[in-house]
Amino acid sequence: MREILILGRGGQGAQTAGNQLAQAFFAKGQYVQTFATYGGARRGTPVTSSIRADDQPIRQRNNISCATALLCFDDSLLDQNFLKLANKDTVIVVNSKQPQASFAGLGDYNILAVDGKDIARRNNMGKVVNSALLGALVAAMQNPDIDTMCAVIEQSAPAKKQENVAACREAFQRVTDAEQGNQSNG
Amino acid sequence: MNALSSNKDLQLLNGNHAVAMGVKLANPHFAPLYPITPQTPILEKLIALQSAGELETELLTPESEHSAMASAIAASATGVRVFTATSSQGLLLMHELLHFAAGARTPIVMFNVNRTPASPWGFWPDQIDSLSQRDTGWVQLYSENPQESLDTVIQAFRIAEAAQMPVMVNHDAFYVSHAVEPVEVPAQETVDTFLPAYKAGLHLDPELGRSLGAPIDQKSWNESRQQMAAAMATVGDLTASAGQDWGDLTGRSYGPLEQYRTDGADVVFVTMGSMCGTVREAVDGLRARGIAAGLLKIRLFRPLPQVELRKALADVPCAIVLDRNYSPGVGGVVHQELKAALFDMANAPRLHGLLAGVGGVNVSAEMIERLAVEYRDAVASPDPVWVEE
Repeated sequence: MREILILGRGGQGAQTAGNQLAQAFFAKGQYVQTFATYGGARRGTPVTSSIRADDQPIRQRNNISCATALLCFDDSLLDQNFLKLANKDTVIVVNSKQPQASFAGLGDYNILAVDGKDIARRNNMGKVVNSALLGALVAAMQNPDIDTMCAVIEQSAPAKKQENVAACREAFQRVTDAEQGNQSNG
Repeated sequence: MNALSSNKDLQLLNGNHAVAMGVKLANPHFAPLYPITPQTPILEKLIALQSAGELETELLTPESEHSAMASAIAASATGVRVFTATSSQGLLLMHELLHFAAGARTPIVMFNVNRTPASPWGFWPDQIDSLSQRDTGWVQLYSENPQESLDTVIQAFRIAEAAQMPVMVNHDAFYVSHAVEPVEVPAQETVDTFLPAYKAGLHLDPELGRSLGAPIDQKSWNESRQQMAAAMATVGDLTASAGQDWGDLTGRSYGPLEQYRTDGADVVFVTMGSMCGTVREAVDGLRARGIAAGLLKIRLFRPLPQVELRKALADVPCAIVLDRNYSPGVGGVVHQELKAALFDMANAPRLHGLLAGVGGVNVSAEMIERLAVEYRDAVASPDPVWVEE
């Protein structure tokens, strides 16, 4: 079973991103479960969205204690409290303009920094980063495929459908290129 | 919600939206609703369905839950099908009128999302809000997942209208209310076959000039409770037949209780609501390790199916109640109820009462497996035990 956590601040779209990611896995024929928990649904407070995807019906109803992947909408939230839900195999994507190396001090984790805000701005999305971050996450997880992810975004985005899709694809490409670069360098 | 789906018969719905879809199919005449986290998506979805012209129900949004229940009682007394929904503080504000609704024999169906009551303020899954209403005369059912919530709200109308008793269906905050999962929404014809239009017997009608709930003498009040007792005595069978008939139509059967892998079990977990799903995982994990574990899920809590509980737990060496609720000074409510139900039974299990998940703290399958190992041979304490990860 794949278990994914998305951490953001209320109003950033973490819950929407969780629903869209679940829809993409569902469209690929997987059973899914996604739920959000929040302390009081106020803008700015931390919000967690949990996603499970599996070939089998999902029965357990509890928190994810060790995630396959983590997506963090705000680098100020990426601390040891969140990282204790990860291990060294967890794919971690963080929205940050900081260089990759600045996260090395957090420990032995597989952290990928993506400047979602820059990608959003370049695609006329202002500060709305969720589609860009989903593109980065599916690239890092190599699942589900980018066309399915974009089709879900196009169907469910309330406005700026093409801009959302373009931001998702650009982030996907950046991460894919960076990982290919790492492989050829490494 | 998802036209991309390769699973043609399934839609991705959260538990609350699944309830709203069930309500739409049951087609109540009237639904007064007041918003409260985490129930609000039920109200929002019903309003959206009505705005889209897909719901005929007359919706009313009064100024409080107390008024919502008052109008539900009044409408139901005129002989129409009525639905409402609430959670936690809202349910507690209704308390006075919950007694009234049951005493007036108004077959209202209410969905309650189980949430911690204040103080302190919280939004977490915990069943003490509805369990503390157990003496009001409402039938209570507990649902494990969004599909069961949809299926159960439809069955609840049939049970309520047949017994002439109000029915409260409950599911846990977030783990069910906000969990988006694949859900099969049955066809309208299927629901119409299962649940014909409501034809009320004795009811209020301005043409007839009847009254309801007028002051009566002691004996008549006493008799009203005996009549409620007789009605409650029919609910177990009504729940079983509704669940069976629903299964014949949809392939998903339900009953007052469900036993999962209890054959030859040395240790049986007893619980309600969303935790049942996690226990299923733990039971499979324990069985794979050679520990004969099982689950006894209580779906119908009021009236408590005492005879069936005694039968299900006869000769089981050890039973562990997982209570996601706490009655201060006593313990877990399900533990207390089960102790009473099993009283004086020669072949009763050692019964452990564990307070697990109170206030919505996490209960994982790994933790449940650990509890089975820890408690299955232990001497049972009459007192509840707080357990945590």
